[in-house]
Amino acid sequence: MIKAILRLKDKLLGRGDAAITVPVFDGALKPNNLLEDAAVFASLKSAQDLATDGQNLFVADGQRVLRYDADIAHELHHFEQPVTALACLLEGGLAVALAGREVRIVGGPHDGRQWTSIDGVAFSAVNAISLGSSGKLLVTDGSTEQPAENWKHDLMSRGATGRVCELTLSDGSLRTLATGLSHAFGVCNADGATWVSESWRHRVMSINAGERPTPVTDSLPGYPSRLSPASGGGYWLTCFILRTQLVEFVLREHTFRKRMMAEIEPQYWIAPALNSGNTFLEPMQGAHLKMMGVVKPWAPPRSYGLVIRLNASGDIVYSMHSRFDGKNHGVVAAVECQGHLYVLAKGCTSILRLSIADAERSLQA
Amino acid sequence: MSNTTVTPVLELRRATKNYAGVPAIEDIDFSLMPGEIHSIVGENGAGKSTLTKVMAGVVNLSSGTMLVNGQEVNPKTPNDALALGIAMVFQETSLVPTMTVAQNLFLGQERYFNRLRGIYIEAQQFMQSLQFDVDPTAVVSLLGAAKKQMVEIARAVLHNATVIIFDEPTASLTPEEKKYFFDLVIALKARGVSVIFISHAIEEALQVSDRITILRDGKRVVTDDKANFDRARIVQTMVGRDLSQTHYGQRKTTVRPQGKRVLSVQNLRMAAMVKNNSLSVFAGQITGVFGLVGSGRTETFKVVAGIIKRDFMHGGEVILNDKPVRYFVPASAVRDGIAYVTEDRKLEGFFETKSIADNIYLGLLAKIRSARTFVSRQEADKAGEHWIKRLNIRAIGKEVKAIELSGGNQQKVVIAKSLIQEPELIIFDEPTRGVDVGAIAEIHQLINQLADEGKAVVVISSYLPEIMSLSDRILVQSMGKVVEEYSALDATEEKIMYAAIH
Repeated sequence: MIKAILRLKDKLLGRGDAAITVPVFDGALKPNNLLEDAAVFASLKSAQDLATDGQNLFVADGQRVLRYDADIAHELHHFEQPVTALACLLEGGLAVALAGREVRIVGGPHDGRQWTSIDGVAFSAVNAISLGSSGKLLVTDGSTEQPAENWKHDLMSRGATGRVCELTLSDGSLRTLATGLSHAFGVCNADGATWVSESWRHRVMSINAGERPTPVTDSLPGYPSRLSPASGGGYWLTCFILRTQLVEFVLREHTFRKRMMAEIEPQYWIAPALNSGNTFLEPMQGAHLKMMGVVKPWAPPRSYGLVIRLNASGDIVYSMHSRFDGKNHGVVAAVECQGHLYVLAKGCTSILRLSIADAERSLQA
Repeated sequence: MSNTTVTPVLELRRATKNYAGVPAIEDIDFSLMPGEIHSIVGENGAGKSTLTKVMAGVVNLSSGTMLVNGQEVNPKTPNDALALGIAMVFQETSLVPTMTVAQNLFLGQERYFNRLRGIYIEAQQFMQSLQFDVDPTAVVSLLGAAKKQMVEIARAVLHNATVIIFDEPTASLTPEEKKYFFDLVIALKARGVSVIFISHAIEEALQVSDRITILRDGKRVVTDDKANFDRARIVQTMVGRDLSQTHYGQRKTTVRPQGKRVLSVQNLRMAAMVKNNSLSVFAGQITGVFGLVGSGRTETFKVVAGIIKRDFMHGGEVILNDKPVRYFVPASAVRDGIAYVTEDRKLEGFFETKSIADNIYLGLLAKIRSARTFVSRQEADKAGEHWIKRLNIRAIGKEVKAIELSGGNQQKVVIAKSLIQEPELIIFDEPTRGVDVGAIAEIHQLINQLADEGKAVVVISSYLPEIMSLSDRILVQSMGKVVEEYSALDATEEKIMYAAIH
């Protein structure tokens, strides 16, 4: 009862959960053009995820898995369903998620092992796979209600059914590490703890067995997605879409949102997107639109490109951006291989490559 | 300017003023020529203020003589001095805060019957003639420091004074306002008005003066034409020692790395002053905040420190260490580790009739959660001694009242009062306003030390060289929100000013 009254007060006064606020891009998140200026390594229309074994880059592209040897792509596998997540295993072979509903091992000593559900609930939106500790896999299932490609529906229905699971390669056992996550999208092993991106809550959480999850990095200005290890300690975190006050407002207007979802095509919703500017029917993109010296609230950015470098404690060290006027938006994965960072910008269906040393040098200059 | 055939408009011979037997100024000879701009520079405590207060009739000489146009005079009150054509614009404004600008302008000159509208119109025309953008109907307490200063200056000009004494006139002015001010001083000179100009900003003294007098420890060290001075000579003569010039004017070559985000301000709104402002402050760094007067810098951080409140509805969020906070009183912010060192130390910084030790101890009491029935004299004395030593506060003892200290030492007391609370986030608002060169160096060293210790430090300043030399990252605020961020390595004065104005 008291909680309900407090919620009503917050709603009336625009405070607490009802505060329509967005963190600012400053400090280590100060915008630059590193991502926008990055070279296009490959253009793949259906690319979904990246992985590396330390020597080569692996790409999940539609129903295929490609391996790049010296910039030349070789098709390794072809599956009956699209690959939504990918990871290279230490003992050889790959772990793939098929259509978000199945995790399967191909190649290596555990070839053929597969998982389709956990705790009696089928996988629905497996969107990231990562190596855990001692022969285990970490998997995020974005939502148990929506398939992976329907992330926008999950956001607009304020979904909180994501989960992170641990799969044991040797015996096929599985364990749920956390449930009720607001779109789990990206996971990694961080010195024994499990870090998971909780997209709709704009944070990365650390999950330790037997302890309450704690935020590693909170109040991000974007919606975080996949995590991958970085050389020299720390991690790469991608943000696939950006927070705006307009979207925050829509997320708090239940009646409007429900009607919008029922009556309008998803690509025209007032919601973030992986890319923008494709048709005049979209909500306007252009955070720079000004009239009488005032930035117009009806023209916030819809899409953005962002990769964040975290240190081992989860603090932001620096970031790479493709800004509102750029095209390398909708970044869903970034992996480091041979001194280069490979970035999957789904918004422009490209894999970008940039030299990490050069990027760090330009940031220090 | 040292024309001996012209009678000085104002002259002091062997002027001495003692306070309780201790000379504040001693055997000073000083002359001011008609139409001359004469700067008096010196460290805090050098005797500048006493010397000018003698001229303005605020205090009387213990020995020596004062001459106006060759005639010996002895003004007992500021009114006497004004009758002789000497007006003083004080460093700490002497306006009546509850009256309007126009009422303050004409205070003491009222007619028997006054029509408010007439006063406003007259004041408006007068302020416009000086190119001062101040609303004559505004109540003075609602004006910022710069605008109060403008009203003070306007009041002196209005009294048709032949000698106007400016005590630190530019300390609270932005670069644009300073330009207006110097234009005004030059216009006054053209009208034959003589100007005495006291400033800690040596470049300003060099820029605007005809002659410069340097005081040290209550004595005149030298008076000479401006052409015979440069910055290094002035500094060395002022302080009597070779002072490093690194504190003002030199750019940083390295910046501290960003630590944990301590403060995140998101879409903050506060009346018309702060408009959808967002910024972050990180541990182990000095975040400089620059902006013109009225850009909402002080108001933003006063909301953070719980001194003023944000908008009641949709006022945005202040997040301290990942936790949203909303303070109704500053004490709550103090307990959460936020210290705010005010820009107006006289009004908000300390109790002027209390001792150094008591003032510092009050800072500690503000932090303690449980109310105390008895306070400890011993604890207060210990705190006073510790901080006097640590911050090198120059006073005879911890029992000296704050009002008896020079500006720089008063500022150190205010800083000590905040640091005793062991804050995690320290906000310095104009930390070196009205502070002498030696104390500036010490305060800057302290600010750097705090950042090196891992504290999150914010420095709000209108003085660009201070921002450039102290900050690791610089936020530029304009029209109520942060509009630009620079690393100290990228920033130039031109870039910062461009962002602040456009």
